Amino acid sequence: MKILAIESSCDETAASVVEIKRGVFGVLSNVISSQEKVHAQFGGIIPEVAARLHVEKMLPILEMAVKDAKETWEKIDYIAVCSGPGLVSSLMVGVETAKTLAYALNKPLVNVNHIEGHLLSSEDMKVGKLKLPAIGLIVSGGHTQIILVKDYLNYRLIGETRDDAAGEAFDKVAKIMNLGYPGGPAVSKVAALAKDDNRFGIKLPRPMLKKGFDMSFSGLKTAVLYLWQDLEKKLSTKDLEVAKSYVAKEFQQAVVDVLAYKTIKAVEKYNAQTVLVGGGVSANRELRSQLERSVKENLNNVVVSFPDISLTGDNATMIAMAAYYHIKEKRFVEPFNLRANPNWQLV
Amino acid sequence: MKKVTKSEAQTIKLGEQTGKKLEGGEVFLLVGDLGAGKTTFIKGVAKGLGIKRHITSPTFVLMKVYNVTKHKVIKTFVHIDTYRGLSIDDLDNIGAMEYFMDEKAVSFVEWGVSLEKHLIKYKIKFTKVLIRNIDQQVREINIK
Repeated sequence: MKILAIESSCDETAASVVEIKRGVFGVLSNVISSQEKVHAQFGGIIPEVAARLHVEKMLPILEMAVKDAKETWEKIDYIAVCSGPGLVSSLMVGVETAKTLAYALNKPLVNVNHIEGHLLSSEDMKVGKLKLPAIGLIVSGGHTQIILVKDYLNYRLIGETRDDAAGEAFDKVAKIMNLGYPGGPAVSKVAALAKDDNRFGIKLPRPMLKKGFDMSFSGLKTAVLYLWQDLEKKLSTKDLEVAKSYVAKEFQQAVVDVLAYKTIKAVEKYNAQTVLVGGGVSANRELRSQLERSVKENLNNVVVSFPDISLTGDNATMIAMAAYYHIKEKRFVEPFNLRANPNWQLV
Repeated sequence: MKKVTKSEAQTIKLGEQTGKKLEGGEVFLLVGDLGAGKTTFIKGVAKGLGIKRHITSPTFVLMKVYNVTKHKVIKTFVHIDTYRGLSIDDLDNIGAMEYFMDEKAVSFVEWGVSLEKHLIKYKIKFTKVLIRNIDQQVREINIK
């Protein structure tokens, strides 16, 4: 079975062809065109610009995905598309393209939730070795959720951020200390420069650490703001530059501590066999190594499965992977009935 | 109306009182620095309207829309963040302008100061909420 998938929910235009044989996913092509550099000059995404770039890129990217996969349009069996959540003007480009393709090629159409895509993007899933139930940890610029995956297509929300997403906190902290955009890689890079001596005695809160499965990162961001303003007053320019890395390190550690602690508690409570991590922040090296370590130390026979780095950001391969389970259940949508749904909640 | 709140809980309470007085069709522009408490105030408003779901940051998707089920007139609660410097065209693009003109919707726009002149041009009435940090806990909230 070959699926051609499209993803355009935010600032990446992506298309992918995935072939599924006996539950194993073969990625024949995974084409992504990022608008990151364009939006970086504005410090964030401009919807009108994003939509225009999606329109420009969509057809070349689709053609490239089919060509890279060494396929022809006729040999594609299904068309899949992410129809939400995201920016409405961006989503519409992908959705309308997928509808037209499905209609013109006369192929069944599947719509997939963006979060479901991230949830089912990990390596264990790809090689058909995923053990369920699993606890999914979705961490990105727009979402931070802990989801129980009882079975495919059977999800339950266990906890989520009550304010800012983890990735958003990285962006805002980067902005406070003037580290650049996007904030995730910028903060991690600076954090790696700090030694373990905590020479400035920096301590940030771990918000809501022991209070259920919900999280809060807005207060942490504000704590960084006040800490930074205080350091700016106290330190010389030279020391401040050094302190920057220590603040970044402690902030990153606070986020990792909260995510790891809650994930492990959720695994214990629901007897999960796997931890599935997905979304842009799942590329964070500290999160990867520390989560893996603390799962090993605290739980028996639980596997942590991350996506390949190429599938942590928005991509269409994850949409194809999730689409497979909809296809198995024959959950198709009529091309004329599908609409982009910017507020679609998976759970 | 100028109020001073001394904690996050008090800011939520003030938002809640504001939420309870809404009649439908209102547009609020919230102005204040990063970490001032704009979202905190809006959480209170949502509480006042009887919304149970967590009000999470709309920065990434720019606009989040919530259903209101416990109000006679208001059916929709709209939360917008223009932190990234959205223009009036951008807001039109994501469908925000339709909500601003909808009598059954209430809209809360964070960092909305750049929108002021556009809303005036389109004859859309709005209320400004200026939030200023006095220190880590204390906020001065000016609703006009």
